[in-house]
Amino acid sequence: MTQPILSLHDLKKSFGATEIIRGVSLSLMPDERHAIIGPNGAGKSTLFHLISGNIRPNSGEILLDGRSIVGKTPQAINRLGLARSFQITNIFPRLTVYENIRLAVMRAHGLQYCFWRFVNANRKVKQQSDQLLELVRLHPRAATIAGEMSYSEQRSLEIAMTLASDPKVILLDEPMAGMSKEETAYTTSLIKEVTAGRALLIVEHDMEVVFSLGDRISVLVYGQLIATGTPDEIRRNADVKEAYLGEEVAA
Amino acid sequence: MKARFFWIAIGLASLAAVPFVLSQGLVNAAIPMLIAALFACAYNLLCGQAGMLSFGHSAYFGVGAFSTIHAMNALGGAGLLPTPLMPLAGAAGGLVFGAIAGWFATQRSGTYFAMITLAIAELIHALAPHLKGVFGGEAGLSSMRMPAWGFTFGTTNEVYYLTLVWVALCLALLYLITRTPLGRLALGVRENSHRLSFLGYEVHRINVLIFAISGMFSGVAGALQVVSNEAANYVVFDPSLSAAVVLNTYIGGVNVFLGPALGAALMTFFGYAVSDLTQSWLLYQGLLFVLVMMFMPTGLSGLAVLAIAAAKRHGIRAVAPAAALYLAAFASLTAAIVFLAELLGRVFSQDYKALSQAAGSGELPPVLLFGWSWSPAGMLTWLVPLALMVLGIVCWRTAGGSLRRQADAAVSNTVAAAVTAERRPA
Amino acid sequence: MEHLVISLLNGVIYGLLLFMVSAGLTLIFGMMGILNFAHASFYMLGAYFAYALQGPLGFWGAIIASPVLVGLIGVAVERYILRRVHHHGHAHELLITFGLSFIIAELVKLFFGNYPVNYRVPGDLDFSAFTLGGLNYPAYRVFMGIVAVSMFVAIYQLLTRTRVGIVVRSALYRPKMAEALGHNVPLVFMGVFGVGAALAGLAGAVAGAFYTTNPNMALELGVMVFVVVVVGGLGSLGGAMAASLLIGIVTSIAVGIDATLADLFSLFGARELAEQMGGIFVLKVSSLAATIPFALMLLVLLVRPNGLMGGKG
Repeated sequence: MTQPILSLHDLKKSFGATEIIRGVSLSLMPDERHAIIGPNGAGKSTLFHLISGNIRPNSGEILLDGRSIVGKTPQAINRLGLARSFQITNIFPRLTVYENIRLAVMRAHGLQYCFWRFVNANRKVKQQSDQLLELVRLHPRAATIAGEMSYSEQRSLEIAMTLASDPKVILLDEPMAGMSKEETAYTTSLIKEVTAGRALLIVEHDMEVVFSLGDRISVLVYGQLIATGTPDEIRRNADVKEAYLGEEVAA
Repeated sequence: MKARFFWIAIGLASLAAVPFVLSQGLVNAAIPMLIAALFACAYNLLCGQAGMLSFGHSAYFGVGAFSTIHAMNALGGAGLLPTPLMPLAGAAGGLVFGAIAGWFATQRSGTYFAMITLAIAELIHALAPHLKGVFGGEAGLSSMRMPAWGFTFGTTNEVYYLTLVWVALCLALLYLITRTPLGRLALGVRENSHRLSFLGYEVHRINVLIFAISGMFSGVAGALQVVSNEAANYVVFDPSLSAAVVLNTYIGGVNVFLGPALGAALMTFFGYAVSDLTQSWLLYQGLLFVLVMMFMPTGLSGLAVLAIAAAKRHGIRAVAPAAALYLAAFASLTAAIVFLAELLGRVFSQDYKALSQAAGSGELPPVLLFGWSWSPAGMLTWLVPLALMVLGIVCWRTAGGSLRRQADAAVSNTVAAAVTAERRPA
Repeated sequence: MEHLVISLLNGVIYGLLLFMVSAGLTLIFGMMGILNFAHASFYMLGAYFAYALQGPLGFWGAIIASPVLVGLIGVAVERYILRRVHHHGHAHELLITFGLSFIIAELVKLFFGNYPVNYRVPGDLDFSAFTLGGLNYPAYRVFMGIVAVSMFVAIYQLLTRTRVGIVVRSALYRPKMAEALGHNVPLVFMGVFGVGAALAGLAGAVAGAFYTTNPNMALELGVMVFVVVVVGGLGSLGGAMAASLLIGIVTSIAVGIDATLADLFSLFGARELAEQMGGIFVLKVSSLAATIPFALMLLVLLVRPNGLMGGKG
């Protein structure tokens, strides 16, 4: 029986007197695609912040590949093989698209303190940057200033940057927000392709994406997981229907 | 690319020709200009590129200066290094102190960072007079340039060439650094250091490294000043030097690599040129800085880039009238401000108070300004600057209107062309 | 013993003075996110205006009129300069206020000369409040303390008890919400900036008579104020008060200590070693008094980066 690559044990987080995450436990297998859905304010982004090291839980455990990552810095967690994207686009707005991707790629090549070699001379970095840009269909926009692109193009760049470090676990926070139907369809198949062999935790509101992409789905309501299971199980779950799905799925 | 090399070569050749073309006095003035240019570019690595605003950068300049003077005096005056290599002592001092100070300062960001850098500079400024062994007290420390490598380094020209070589070398290195991974990361730190953490970077360590490198080159600038002056004094830690580099850098413009160098050279030159004519040079510099920050944040180099782009797009003939008007506006407004400042400075000075008391109570004797005599009570005296200001504003507005009409014409031309192209059968 | 008490009193009063200036700075930062580099310049303007108005208005008139003038200047700065560049970001605003502080210092030199002016404690306040151990304690120092404390109480009451205060505090925490509720937030910003400036001006008007009034006073105090806000935590009035008092007292007491680090080393029998090393080890603490606040600031940065009372990180 394979070990989960990411496991959360009774995770709790309060901000002052308000409990946002009230005891969440979850196991993510090494090649599983797991979607988290839930109404607004349920705590989905907070959960991501806890896992990626942006904030510290009040109690509970987070294990990445068997190792506890509670209290580790975001950069340490990233180096251990976990990468995340952000709900609010978090790129380098005044740099070019190519520059954005290259910054994401450079770290894995050990170039962070290098001031004695030209960055252009490193062919591997250039290759990988070009590849990633091709993947998200942004190569023709390589010389554009990132902040001047459309919102959905920025989201694609965001995803590409997240993939740059070749992570074992990928956290995507509403990657399709703002995308058209065609872009969403493309990005969904892209995510399926790139996450082959990796673990994916994705927060999304688009139900079509969730049900087509997710091997398993968890439903987060008011800081608690009220259900976890395959798409069919979730579709049939009465609690979930009542709390969240309503008539949408039936339609 | 070729064009850039061409212009760089021309620039270097012109600078190399200076001692042959200009008077010794001007060569003497050129040395501090070069040093200020280097200091500004070293500062810009931290400030314009990495986005870390330091208000106490004179500390690294000063530590470089004192490291060098001690190196020059070492070994009984023979010097730890041959004279042409002396700036390495400054580099070492600036690097080490930059790393230590940077480690503290980069624990915080933004506004806090700025305050910490200011306090570190003030700390060393307050400490220096007490550590007479290191900093020499009120009189400072002095030394002598030793002959080396076949040169005596006794003439101004030799010192000029030494300074030029080092400044050119350091600027080249600073430019090359912008092409390295660390140089690109500096931009990332400025744009979104938060995201860099999530991409796996140890942002604090990167910041310290950038700070240290900036300190190193600042130290070289300090060393060059000491080699040139053969003296070092703790007034080099004065906040006014930190202020000067901030003003120079932003007036020059932080987005173009040589922008800060341009601003520093210009401001240093003007400081020398007008220091005998007016006591208010710093006031003018401060006003220019605030006006640049309010109306032209990309600085003079940014202005040049805009002008060249506009000329390329619309053609020089179309842009020239607007450019002339802007220049006229600038000249007019400058004249108005200078007139007012000089007039007020004289009226409020001690000498004038004595004069007016001698002339009798309530009497306002005339002030000698620009070769003419102006009465502070007279209408004309105040009409002149007012008229100049109005003229300046009118020129400004007209120039702006002219450019707007250019832009609109260009847009409608493009639209018309597109429409005709569409209408034409394929 | 009496020396210690006097040093303590002096320290408390200097601390209160620091607080008067840093309170405005902290309020402005907490509300608008702007670190007003020119804040200490308002302090200096307060002193100079009071000096200039002393002739026509007398001392008491001057120290009332001067802060009002400085407050108006603050309002003008916010309205015509800062508001324009707000969209460029905080670094930009910081640079502009830095430039402004520069210009104000140069203008002061232009109008009043590049040397201290003769702004002195008025005759009727120039007596001794009490004697302690044979030393006269100047009544003016007590006066400064009273002004500072009254100011603190007035601000606190204003912010917590009045309607204006509630609006200001809401604009502090949620400017957009306050605006949505119909409050004129830009007006509030202008008002807070003006009041902050006026407070600094009052501090200057009062302190300038006692300490010297010269074109460098903005920088000298300004750096101290920055140390206060780093140590106390920017945005926290309580932190600013605590840090101001701490720095005031420590500086004041240190000035009276003639011991050196070598003396400390002598406790461990290592006096000769320390004296051989020379330099910083044989400096008297009293000489180093000016540098202690900076050392304190660096210490706080190491141990508690968010300042003593937290505040905005």
